[in-house]
Amino acid sequence: MAPLSRAGRRVPLVPGRTLFDAADGLELVVPASCRRSGRCHECIVEVTAGGDALMPPTVDEAFLRPGFRLACQAMVERPDVAVEFVILRRRLRIFMPPNGPPLDVDPAVRVIDGRVRLLAADGTLGDDLGAPTGRLLGVALDIGTTTVVLELVDLASGEALASAAFENPQRFGGSDVMARITYDDEHPGELRRALRRALNHELMRLYAAWDVDRHQVVEVVVVGNATMRDLAFGLDLTPIGRFPYRSTTETAWRAGEVATSAVERRAHELGLLVHPRARIWGAPLIACHVGADAAADLVATDGETGLVPRMVVDMGTNTEVILTDGLRTLACSCPAGPAFEGGLIRYGMAGSEGAIESVRHTADAFVVRTIGDVEPQGLCGSGLVDLLAELRRIEVMNAHGVFADGGVEVAVVPDRGITLSRADVSQLAQAKAANAVGMQVLLRKLGLEAGDLARLDLVGGFASSLDIRNAIAIGFLPAVPPERVVRHGNASVRGAKALLLSRMARARLADRVAQIEHVELEAEPDFFELFVDGCRFEPLPARRTPT
Amino acid sequence: MTDLQQLTLAIESGDRGAAVAVTRAAIDEGLDPATILGAMTAAMEIVGERFQRNEIYVPEMLIAARAMKEATAVLEPVLVSAGIRPEHTAIIGTVKGDLHDIGKNLVAMMWKGANIEVIDLGTNVPPDRFVAAAREYGARLVGVSALLTTTMGGMRDVVTAIRAADSPQVRVIIGGAPVTAEFAEQIGADGFAPNAASAVDVARRLLGVPVP
Repeated sequence: MAPLSRAGRRVPLVPGRTLFDAADGLELVVPASCRRSGRCHECIVEVTAGGDALMPPTVDEAFLRPGFRLACQAMVERPDVAVEFVILRRRLRIFMPPNGPPLDVDPAVRVIDGRVRLLAADGTLGDDLGAPTGRLLGVALDIGTTTVVLELVDLASGEALASAAFENPQRFGGSDVMARITYDDEHPGELRRALRRALNHELMRLYAAWDVDRHQVVEVVVVGNATMRDLAFGLDLTPIGRFPYRSTTETAWRAGEVATSAVERRAHELGLLVHPRARIWGAPLIACHVGADAAADLVATDGETGLVPRMVVDMGTNTEVILTDGLRTLACSCPAGPAFEGGLIRYGMAGSEGAIESVRHTADAFVVRTIGDVEPQGLCGSGLVDLLAELRRIEVMNAHGVFADGGVEVAVVPDRGITLSRADVSQLAQAKAANAVGMQVLLRKLGLEAGDLARLDLVGGFASSLDIRNAIAIGFLPAVPPERVVRHGNASVRGAKALLLSRMARARLADRVAQIEHVELEAEPDFFELFVDGCRFEPLPARRTPT
Repeated sequence: MTDLQQLTLAIESGDRGAAVAVTRAAIDEGLDPATILGAMTAAMEIVGERFQRNEIYVPEMLIAARAMKEATAVLEPVLVSAGIRPEHTAIIGTVKGDLHDIGKNLVAMMWKGANIEVIDLGTNVPPDRFVAAAREYGARLVGVSALLTTTMGGMRDVVTAIRAADSPQVRVIIGGAPVTAEFAEQIGADGFAPNAASAVDVARRLLGVPVP
């Protein structure tokens, strides 16, 4: 029987089973979130030997270059040839926040009478961590669903010594939070272990590079969406996966059982390689899927200005929107899905090397710019927004996503075979519609129009290369004057850092969170109506009154 | 003389204004409500076929369905007073724990367009409500939707509850992005549809309705 090998390990191949099945036998984790149906495009493997032992590529694999297969679709045909394959690793581009104005430095850990002491929220002295071994350090940690970012911070000066970013290793459990919740239920502990190992590895690397002893790191502030944060702390994720989609901590807080949805453990309980008794503090969640990362976004974007009304938008698979008019603050999470992150789109991809991030049409061809200035592999979110806007501008596509020549696809980069199809456009329309509903519902609840916004804060990697005018033209963003849009890159880690350095910031955040009103979009009576209209590729109407 | 072909075209193209206007004109003219309904059903039949052939996609289906829904709202009172009721009734809802309703609403509209009476229970519906509604409305078809991998297990509970409630005639059809034919088989559902257009074909098959 032919073996499947990887790093010297072998497993027998069985005709009719897929490479994914064989990978399971090797205990090899392959990324996937569509239950191996060929849709998510995450299980791409490069077959380095024995490709002809496999059945020919299926229709779902047509977009791949020769030698590349989807592990979930590639079925073994002949059992007598050895097959070797490699899972692709992608280098993601991560945006670190620019240095902002100086932050409050009023940390929650101090040296008192020669001993390192944790301070409680009210300032009373808590745990004794022993004599200091060097200057006191903390870690600001943003656990994104896709990317983890952290900063090692000097608690006295407030200065960031170092930062690191890496792909969240929990991808094998799915690319979206619901998939990971299911995975965690079916394979308890695996996701948490994977992240802990990756974090510790990164910490050790930083310690070595900066000649730091782990006992110097006395506090870690963790932000992330509800699922990521709770997963890191070993909490039960099940309630987040079903209506009303609330973390156990939020439920307890709203029931008055605890003062906050923030969560706290000591490092040794979580196995983190910092001071064993360091406090690991998970920032409070805002509501449901609007998590600690959104709370951190608020902290990072709040203090700089008193401008209101203001909207903060974190575009992603779940887009979080927070809107404040200075009196009330509303928050919602839009179930956009992965289309603008490249999922479900034939030539869609995440913002990594080779992704087309900008598109312009001139003289009968599309001019594209890619991340890393390398050969284009596919389109990432900002590239897709540009492409849709250009297709509308040159009237190749109508507002309903129909191509003028009646065709099923348009060529984007002909020499690379990169196209955009009607099916792709349909997925993008629906993702866009979900975001449009969120933004419009919040605006109308506060009696505002997009033009009333003093500022629109865009956070997240997507924000950095998004063309605002194109986004407005296709109804991806409401019609905010472009000069009022501020891009923040990863504001969550900056917010986490502010929380790490200041007890005041934590107290202010607790008050803020208590005032935020969560809007459940699907409960809006005209959700469907707004969604259907939101599918159209045209600017969003100025004011949406309920029909 | 109102041209009902205009009604069919208006629905197909998603022009709700025209769909409503032509329906009103037809009613005022005293045209047989069953015939007017026939023009609507024909439109949705065409829309469904186009979708299955990948000539149109979800957004266009949504606007066509919405146009039909508004035209039907105008026609409904006339149908009621003429004693015209669909022959078959179906219950539809999204499982407990899940709030997604776009797909479910689309299926509901497509079924109505196929002249099946639809009782829409909304979202986050526990199994016993599906059972109670099927009994109350004499429905022989129950449609269950789930959009999350975390909630699709609830579909098994609905099937169990319906079988346990001694309703041998009630057929269960399931759908939603994470749902597959294999899953439907595993949980003992009677049918599965990957999209709203095929949901009409499957519903007809399960209800024993001849294809027009």
